[in-house]
Amino acid sequence: MSYFLEQVLNGLSYGLVLSLIAAGFAIVFTSTGVLNFAHGSVVLLGAYLVAVLHDTIGFWPAVLVGLVGAAVVGVAINALLVRNLADPNPGTAAILMLGVDIVLLTELTRRIGNQVLTLGAPWGASVVRLGDVTLPTGRVLAAAVTLVAFGALWYLFSRTDLGVGMRAAAADGPTASLMGIRLSRTAATGWALAGILAAVAGIFLTSFPAPGVAPTVALSAFAAIPAWVLGGFDSVPGAVVGGLLIGLTSALVTGYEADLEPFLGAGFGEVAPYVVMIVVLLVRPSGLLGSKEAVRV
Amino acid sequence: MKHRVRAATLAAAALALAACSTTAPTASGGGGGDDVETGNGVTADGITIGMITDLSGPFAAGAAVQVTETQAYWDQVNADGGICDRDVTVDVQDHGYDPQRAVTLYRSMAPDVIALQQVLGGPTSAAVLPLAEQDSVYVGGVGWAGSALAYENNQLPGASNAIQAANAIDYMVDELDVPEGSTVGVVYFTGDYGGDALAGAEHAAEERGLEILAQEITPATTDLSAQASALAQADVAGVVLAAAPTQLASLAGVLSSQGADVPIIGMNPTFNPSLLTTPAADALLANAYSMTSVSPYDNPDSPGVQEANELYASADPAGATGWEVPLAYVQAELLRQALEGACESGDLTPEGVVAAFRDGGEVDTEGVLPDGLDYSQVGQSPTTTVFVSKVSADAEAGLELLDQVSGPSAESFSYGG
Repeated sequence: MSYFLEQVLNGLSYGLVLSLIAAGFAIVFTSTGVLNFAHGSVVLLGAYLVAVLHDTIGFWPAVLVGLVGAAVVGVAINALLVRNLADPNPGTAAILMLGVDIVLLTELTRRIGNQVLTLGAPWGASVVRLGDVTLPTGRVLAAAVTLVAFGALWYLFSRTDLGVGMRAAAADGPTASLMGIRLSRTAATGWALAGILAAVAGIFLTSFPAPGVAPTVALSAFAAIPAWVLGGFDSVPGAVVGGLLIGLTSALVTGYEADLEPFLGAGFGEVAPYVVMIVVLLVRPSGLLGSKEAVRV
Repeated sequence: MKHRVRAATLAAAALALAACSTTAPTASGGGGGDDVETGNGVTADGITIGMITDLSGPFAAGAAVQVTETQAYWDQVNADGGICDRDVTVDVQDHGYDPQRAVTLYRSMAPDVIALQQVLGGPTSAAVLPLAEQDSVYVGGVGWAGSALAYENNQLPGASNAIQAANAIDYMVDELDVPEGSTVGVVYFTGDYGGDALAGAEHAAEERGLEILAQEITPATTDLSAQASALAQADVAGVVLAAAPTQLASLAGVLSSQGADVPIIGMNPTFNPSLLTTPAADALLANAYSMTSVSPYDNPDSPGVQEANELYASADPAGATGWEVPLAYVQAELLRQALEGACESGDLTPEGVVAAFRDGGEVDTEGVLPDGLDYSQVGQSPTTTVFVSKVSADAEAGLELLDQVSGPSAESFSYGG
């Protein structure tokens, strides 16, 4: 039983980190209509900044620089590239983002080299024991920070003018613009928020139980894509539910692989998130909490 | 605004072209006034060899170390008089870990080189090897996957992944007190590398009366909590890891935090000295071993490794040290021996190089690879001997060489048998 509980808690805490990334995808999509395939590199960038700076300025100031750096890069991608697209359709922007991802990732890979950079996180490799269950302290913190972050997002979107403006812009851009909402401002805020969430996720994805910053971390963002898609492309709560579902599925399928292998084959844990995504989309084509496309009957 | 975007696009395209630019192709075809028959890549006073590597993709950093060492090696050979009275030029190209680009590069390079010292990467070399076999072009370092052994033109630098993994199981039973009847975990990358290691471990487990608990992962799996919990739950007595450094550190750290202090033996590319700065350092120092085809960086008893390290230190004093240094050196050394064999037999052609290494008898690399390498049999690992090292804070590049071993299961393992 404690083994089951351990895998469930592992899965949920990992799922919350994934949901930070998935929420970033969703926020950029709702605020500018862009499928941001460069998000993985921004996750890596945030963690990289913390790793290279923690020795000189200390861990917490480095975290601050990582968050701000990732936010600034997000805003810059939007201001310099997305807004200047001659043909503002989602396909063009998505391909542009693939290009940005290649450029960012190549540069970060060059800088990181074949090292695994340590993050210098004060929680190190410590663990929290709850009865028979052992959880890395980093994961417990990740869960707490993620819940706080989502609480803050809820407050922003439902209680502040800026957040309500962002929702209005997402629902109907031209009308929101006529109502005096500055779309450039809501878009920049969206990209900045996504950058911050990506950096937070990057920090937790590269501290214990993961060893440190290596270029493969950018691939972790791909694990969040099924969470984003099955939550519904444009829904932050959907991203949270999607992340939890994907985290839980991977942990349980991997944890019980020995029992599942005879009929599912080896390595099913890597495939399971996509299977869940496809099943959800078959039942609910707009995802769990995504808004439905208007269809003329 | 549109002009600005266009200008930026043009600039980006120019940069991309600059990054892809190649060294000027050398004159191809025969030549030479001596009695030696020559072919592609050989002129009267020069030999061109190729290296298709990853200078812009995921393995760029390790590849750069290998390119530096390779250049230094051939500069030294040229300074000592070259091969067959000819200077050797290395044509280095970047495939960026893209198999399609590797094939295109191979096609454009093949008429101008006598041999390829390296095609870095599993999927990239898998794409190039069959083409090179048709053209009878020697291909050196392609990793250690057993699938590459089937090609007559491939010279594997040491024992294959299956042999490493079988030795890992033998070593656990013989030296690390893993009792018969216990369960051993195998955590492996999906694909040629991990699949080959799993095959070797399964063979050895059957021979030694152990159970295997296999966990398949991908390079994107950097947090091995779920895998480690499953291994701890199964009460494994040891783990064989065919993955990369990030996975080694995560697995060692999580297993140790769960109180499972069991030996973890990683294959060739699973250790990197920078892991000793991560929070997993204590767990690695306590439990991690490395089972490698090539000698670790710190090996004072091997004149070959010493020479490799000195060459590298003078070529790039600030460069990253690690197993790539002796590996690049020995790949160049194997090719040098094949080229000299081809020269001696009067057939300095691509076919002549392949024939030279296949018929050349036992190969001596002065301790960089195990002694007694035998390349006469296509389809089988050239040796069953591997290097065992322990992660150590005192050793250079973090690995202390313990022994060279050839276990009974490694010796009884046979591809296709």
